[in-house]
Amino acid sequence: MISMSSILSSRSGLILFFLCLVPLATAYLDQGDYLLRICSTAYLYMLLALGLNVVTGFTGLLDLGYVGFYLIGGYTAGLLMARLGWSYWAALPVAAIHGGLWGLLRGAPTLRLTGDYFAIVTFGFSELLFRIVKNEEWLIGGPNGFVNDIPAPTLFGYELWQYWQQYYHILILLILTLLVVYRLHNSRIGRAWQAISQDEEAAQTMGINLHEYKSLAFAISAAIGAIGGAFFAQFQVNISAGVFEFWESILILCMIVLGGIGTLKGALIGAAILGSLGEVLRISLSWMRLPADSRYLIFGAILVMMMRFRPAGILRSTQKSP
Amino acid sequence: MDIDPLLEITGLTKNFGGVVALAQVDLRVMPGQIASLIGPNGAGKTTLFNCVTGLMAPTTGKISFQQQDIFGTSAHQVAMNGIARTFQNIRLFSEMTVLDNVRIGCHTQSRGYLWSAISRNRAYREEELQITTDAQELLQFVNLENFATQIAGNLSYGDQRRLEIARALATNPKLLLLDEPAAGMNPQETNDLIALIRSIRERNITVFLIEHDMKLVMRISEWITVLNYGQKISQGPPEVVQSDPRVIEAYLGQSAGSNH
Amino acid sequence: MTLFLEQIVNGLVLGGIYALIAVGYTMVYGVIQLINFAHGEIFMFGAYFAFLCLAVLKFPLWLAVLASILLCALMGVVIDLIAYRPLRNAPRLSALITAIGISLILQNLARMIWGAEPRRDLANAKSAFLSQTVIIPGGAQLSYLDLSIIILAILLMVGLNRLISLTRIGKAMRACAQDKMAASLMGIDTNRVIGATFAIGSALGAVAGIMVGMRETIEPTMGYYKGVAAFAAAVLGGIGNITGAMLGGVVLGIAEVLGAGYISSGYRVAISYILMILVIVFRPAGLLGRASAKRA
Repeated sequence: MISMSSILSSRSGLILFFLCLVPLATAYLDQGDYLLRICSTAYLYMLLALGLNVVTGFTGLLDLGYVGFYLIGGYTAGLLMARLGWSYWAALPVAAIHGGLWGLLRGAPTLRLTGDYFAIVTFGFSELLFRIVKNEEWLIGGPNGFVNDIPAPTLFGYELWQYWQQYYHILILLILTLLVVYRLHNSRIGRAWQAISQDEEAAQTMGINLHEYKSLAFAISAAIGAIGGAFFAQFQVNISAGVFEFWESILILCMIVLGGIGTLKGALIGAAILGSLGEVLRISLSWMRLPADSRYLIFGAILVMMMRFRPAGILRSTQKSP
Repeated sequence: MDIDPLLEITGLTKNFGGVVALAQVDLRVMPGQIASLIGPNGAGKTTLFNCVTGLMAPTTGKISFQQQDIFGTSAHQVAMNGIARTFQNIRLFSEMTVLDNVRIGCHTQSRGYLWSAISRNRAYREEELQITTDAQELLQFVNLENFATQIAGNLSYGDQRRLEIARALATNPKLLLLDEPAAGMNPQETNDLIALIRSIRERNITVFLIEHDMKLVMRISEWITVLNYGQKISQGPPEVVQSDPRVIEAYLGQSAGSNH
Repeated sequence: MTLFLEQIVNGLVLGGIYALIAVGYTMVYGVIQLINFAHGEIFMFGAYFAFLCLAVLKFPLWLAVLASILLCALMGVVIDLIAYRPLRNAPRLSALITAIGISLILQNLARMIWGAEPRRDLANAKSAFLSQTVIIPGGAQLSYLDLSIIILAILLMVGLNRLISLTRIGKAMRACAQDKMAASLMGIDTNRVIGATFAIGSALGAVAGIMVGMRETIEPTMGYYKGVAAFAAAVLGGIGNITGAMLGGVVLGIAEVLGAGYISSGYRVAISYILMILVIVFRPAGLLGRASAKRA
């Protein structure tokens, strides 16, 4: 049962209303499709930022390999749809569950160890996945992890490939994710996560089972990443290993750091800024004849500056740290 | 009439590498008591609390709570079983609100399944309402109800201590362990604390505290256990312990005037 | 058999290089419990500084090497000073994120300044002398460069061990690694000690960078690849344990060469990841660490 008041304040409702109108407006613009594409990419990053936030923001564990679930979701859905002819509506939940399972598995060995070990495992895990996908042609069916011709979802016989349809598609996914994450955050579960991130031992004396709650966070965060990956697979139509490099994880981390680790609004804003900034930078850097990858230099500077001067994110005025 | 002890510790030993923190400690806490654990600094008092609450694994010995063996039980399970504690150096969730701190304490009294949290069904909303009501009642109990929406880290020291007690009470314990609750308090605050501890006992909660403030200990305790260098050197009602030469000698070894 | 022996020798050379980088990671983790992601970049700058001195400033080789070592040591100290020290009392997460940021900045800075193309300047600068080869017992062929790398690595490791166990600064380092609060109460200037730790680790990293530059090529991503492997070596040996890092370096070097040779070369880097994950799953303390690696 969804109550309107539990989702959004009226200001957010207004924002949502305007967002829904965007495709109408861009229909009259020359570059309309391109704008829709940028918006869709931004929404995708916002979804991923929300997902990473569940582990790194809510429980305070540094996840350096979030792109791994993006990869799992993308390839699970991509392979199911392109090679086995599955429908998107079946492939999406399977991808999400697959991702969630790996989230649990990945985190399990680190439950008894300090957060540093978790960071190390997450890093190694995603890099390993990347290399497997790149090298194992038999698994993926193409070199360099190339999977092509991933079809768009069909609804009532219509194939939803057009940019404006994709726009609503990702917007709906984003809103549903936001709803779930918001409700979790403001519940007994969310309070337990917050307690864990601030003082694990004190949290235990409140009856909070650390293993259980951390595992829950791992699974949910991973599932969200996988959902993002599944969407991405049909959005791009062709995917290859190169998209799922380590630096994507760092980019998404940068987004939640910028907005303020642990807060939902912060994750959304950070992702919106960096998601679009990334596009802008990529274009302007190549215009300035600099390598497009050097936008990572700016991201690095953002990370350092934020931790030093505004650890709580650009929105909060206090100096409270993650 | 033979009443079973609420907490019974037998032969509890804890070694850290070469250091013996607790050596064959025996003690009992009876239900409904206000009992104290005293001893010079480093005597092993907090270590004992840590072993009982599952934050540390004892080396050997036996710990029973309500006649059930809890040796080696994990910390969160111990809390679920009904033992709550506060910490020597106040470990609140300082970036959360006062009310949320207590609501986290209510964790042991609720279920909050994943699906109900997401769907916000009736069962969930009723449970949340109960949690909030219980938390507010506890804040009233410790006179902090006006601070409910403040950030816990902004409270004064004395208020933070009371908040930590409220949070511990939220877990609905049968045994409350207080680790130096009067540290840093002035005489007026100490009097308030004594009243608070007594009213906690009136709620059928047994209180076991570690303290250095001897006036407080002697006034409030019905039974005192004394540790020195990890060993129990004395026990009994205040009059007995006060005049025990071994206790006096243990304390004279420290700097004079250890009470406030 | 000769091939196998050559693989082992190659593994030892690589192992020596990894050991030199790994001790940098492990020493910093020991004193401030930080995984210094930027350390790999310092190793990379070691190679680039040497190249800069050679190609632009026209230094003789020995001077370029010396200058690079000093510059890197300075770089390590400065990074600690401006990026990590202000966060000494902040949550661990903040320092980790900062380290990642520094790593990003340095890597892309190098790419912007010198371009992404691999450079052979250091490799070309090594004299004909070093390129000569010698046949060792068993029939394997070994270049003088590789031989010098092994010898130098051993000397430096022994030197580091002596430093840690016999000198005052070494004792101070060990004290800080155990308990910073107690160390400062004993009159040790912990910030100075931490700075010295960074300096030494970075200097050794610079040496490794020059070695790799001479043996292979110089490129902006070398810090990432070699750095990950060296970090895996440090974890393998037991993060925080210096002897462990040395041992881990050698083991990983040999494992990587043998693995690439006999299993598959596409997974060369993956061997590090796999080892890291295996160590953490089965023996988090590493080969030489304490048995209980639970929360400190």
